[in-house]
Amino acid sequence: MSTSKGTDHFSFGFLTVRLHSDLGYLGGYLLVNSLARPLEFHCTLPVKPTRAQNILYGPTLVDFLCGEQIARTLVSKAKLQPVIVWTDSPAVLALRNVTEIPVCQVRQSRQNSEASKDLVIPSTQHEGVRGGELSGMDIYVSSQHQEDWESVAKRWRELTKPIDLLEPFTRIVDALQEAHPSSKAA
Amino acid sequence: MESWPSFDPSTSELPTLTTADHPLEVLIAEEPVRLHWNIEGFATGWQSQIARDIKIETSPFVAEKIDLNCVAIKIPTPRISTLSFDFPESPQWQNFLQADKGPSATKQASETSANNAAPSPPSSLTRIRPPKDLVKLEDRLYYVLQPPLETLVSNARIDFAFQPFPYQFEGIAFLFSRETAILADEMGLGKTMQAITTVRMLLLANQLRSVLLVCPKPLVSNWVREFRLWAPEIPLAVIEGDQSKRQWMWSQPGLPVRIANYELLMRDRDLLESNLHFDLVILDEAQRIKNRNSTTSEIARGISRSRSWALTGTPIENTPEDLVSIFEFLTPGYLRDGMSLKQMGQATRDHILRRTKDKVLTEMPPKLFRDAELDLTPEQLATYKAAEDEGVIQLSDMGQELTIQHVFELVLRLKQICNFDPITGASCKLERLEADLEEVAASGQKAIVFSQWVQTLDRISESLKRFNPLQYHGRIPSEKRDGVLKLFKEDPKRHVLLMSYGAGSVGLNLQFCRYVFLFDRWWNPAVEDQAINRAHRLGAAGSVTVTRMLVAQTIEERIHRVLDEKRSLFNELFAEAGTPPSLGLNQADIFGLFNLKIPRSNKPKAA
Repeated sequence: MSTSKGTDHFSFGFLTVRLHSDLGYLGGYLLVNSLARPLEFHCTLPVKPTRAQNILYGPTLVDFLCGEQIARTLVSKAKLQPVIVWTDSPAVLALRNVTEIPVCQVRQSRQNSEASKDLVIPSTQHEGVRGGELSGMDIYVSSQHQEDWESVAKRWRELTKPIDLLEPFTRIVDALQEAHPSSKAA
Repeated sequence: MESWPSFDPSTSELPTLTTADHPLEVLIAEEPVRLHWNIEGFATGWQSQIARDIKIETSPFVAEKIDLNCVAIKIPTPRISTLSFDFPESPQWQNFLQADKGPSATKQASETSANNAAPSPPSSLTRIRPPKDLVKLEDRLYYVLQPPLETLVSNARIDFAFQPFPYQFEGIAFLFSRETAILADEMGLGKTMQAITTVRMLLLANQLRSVLLVCPKPLVSNWVREFRLWAPEIPLAVIEGDQSKRQWMWSQPGLPVRIANYELLMRDRDLLESNLHFDLVILDEAQRIKNRNSTTSEIARGISRSRSWALTGTPIENTPEDLVSIFEFLTPGYLRDGMSLKQMGQATRDHILRRTKDKVLTEMPPKLFRDAELDLTPEQLATYKAAEDEGVIQLSDMGQELTIQHVFELVLRLKQICNFDPITGASCKLERLEADLEEVAASGQKAIVFSQWVQTLDRISESLKRFNPLQYHGRIPSEKRDGVLKLFKEDPKRHVLLMSYGAGSVGLNLQFCRYVFLFDRWWNPAVEDQAINRAHRLGAAGSVTVTRMLVAQTIEERIHRVLDEKRSLFNELFAEAGTPPSLGLNQADIFGLFNLKIPRSNKPKAA
């Protein structure tokens, strides 16, 4: 556990699952320290749901695939356990059903000019519950774990310096495109 | 069958059967239904048939019970394969973080926490990108996953003497990820700062342990100053002293940065070629190795190292071969002589970063050029004419024995006469300079005067005593040079600094000067630009006025014309190819100054 030596030894997880029109779903998980420097990076190979899964899971497929399968696999691969897993993908909130780590969705209000057009955030019918606001951004938590907001807000107050909650996702997307060059438009 | 209702199409209601009255099988089964069609009209003949009831014959159908078979389809859990990468954090970063918790940092932190404020996002974020020739995915991801430099600097609370410009962050990001690089920014854009900051960050990231910086001797003290300013925590060692001291300094373990000068490399060649290895070797003013056959170039290429950077504002001083020579230090064999400018530009695009002031410093004070076209004094004119006429006749008479050196000697002689009449000491330039300096001194400003000859500077100094001139050139001992610059900067009575192009054209920061005088012109505009940019650089107090002294209808005017044409060509080609062509005077140019033909025995050669 990386929380024993004060806030400077926190590690944070940033997890995103993106959808590529040809390749399928790609997951990336970046663990950073309090300086925002990378400690671990894990990414999946492209995951494509089968026709049967598409039919049988119906609208729950995205949550199942992104949150319970891809995100869970990525978190299980990490050596470090972060204090919070931040995500920009609402479907990843379903990860909270299978992990004890608080999972928060950062909903960006400002337009991200660097957002990849090739790797988009998959939409889901299930949205979390708004916990509050951090760094000017709305933070959502799983509707089954609304108590997460309290612990996240407490952690946030302990930080000696707030962190940028959006920027790491740009790095993850760039890294996914490095790892899977075909996901990047020529 | 009597219990079944008849169906009359003229009525709106259909008969209704329910399972309450009839079993299901009966409902499904069809029974005959009598239909009544009431047709009003006169029935004749066969039409009477219409009035008859339609008889519909049906036959019963009994549905059989269906046996349902259930087939179980297993939905496999998606198989998810992952790639994992670890980036162990350098302990230096953590140490740096823990050590740097002064009161100001704490105060800022507590205020931030109390307000739960968002990190003030920098206006732009500079990402570190992997170089194109980096192949291994793990290495590429290491750079891709680094936070933006601004975030890194801000989070680690790395202090800077001044807030770097965005383009300087880009320069740092460029160097950070490259093993071979040329930072070719125009003079005055802060190459020194960018190199030092990158070294600082790489040392913190544990990617470097030993760095060797090689620069011209006069710039050593400047580098030491800049290191203290931009990276005060990094221990430095300037290689100097007698041989035993130098040997000790070369072999001293644990020194992160060593600074040596080019001249010293030759003396310590054996030491350098023994067992020394550096993680990074930086050549400042790398045009010093443009001649790849020179000993300096050979020694530089022979230093064992992992990374190689070259800093120069003029990667090409004369010909594209200059760049080939620098690449022989960076990546031997990567460029070759004879490559077209386009090929060279494409091959070097990922290795060279060059920015010009007009592109990145849109708010920098302007640089105003003023060409002072002068006429020789009568005494100078007489001497000049005699020298030129006699000289040209002598050159013409030499025939096939004529060499570029002969022509060059005449050019030098005529240029010196343009400065001062050797017999009477008369000088149209000095007259003008004195007049201009009166104004400079009266307004409390300072000026730098450049000449290519120390002798000329001496003569100027004699005439400018009332302005308390200082001199900075090759004859001033290096240990006294810093003192000269300090005095010039701090003493308000010292209005003029007389510099030679050789000593004062590179690396010095004299941005407090608002006036630059080029008493005579150098052969190469790039060197002139370097000289001018001692004053016109970052932090310049205001506009910089450059007065270029030029005597009309003399060799100076002819040289000026040739160089101007070349500069135009350079500007045109540099934009397209990314590398400049020849800027200086070549053999044909020099012969052409006197309309002389190059003898067949002489091969073209750059000046």
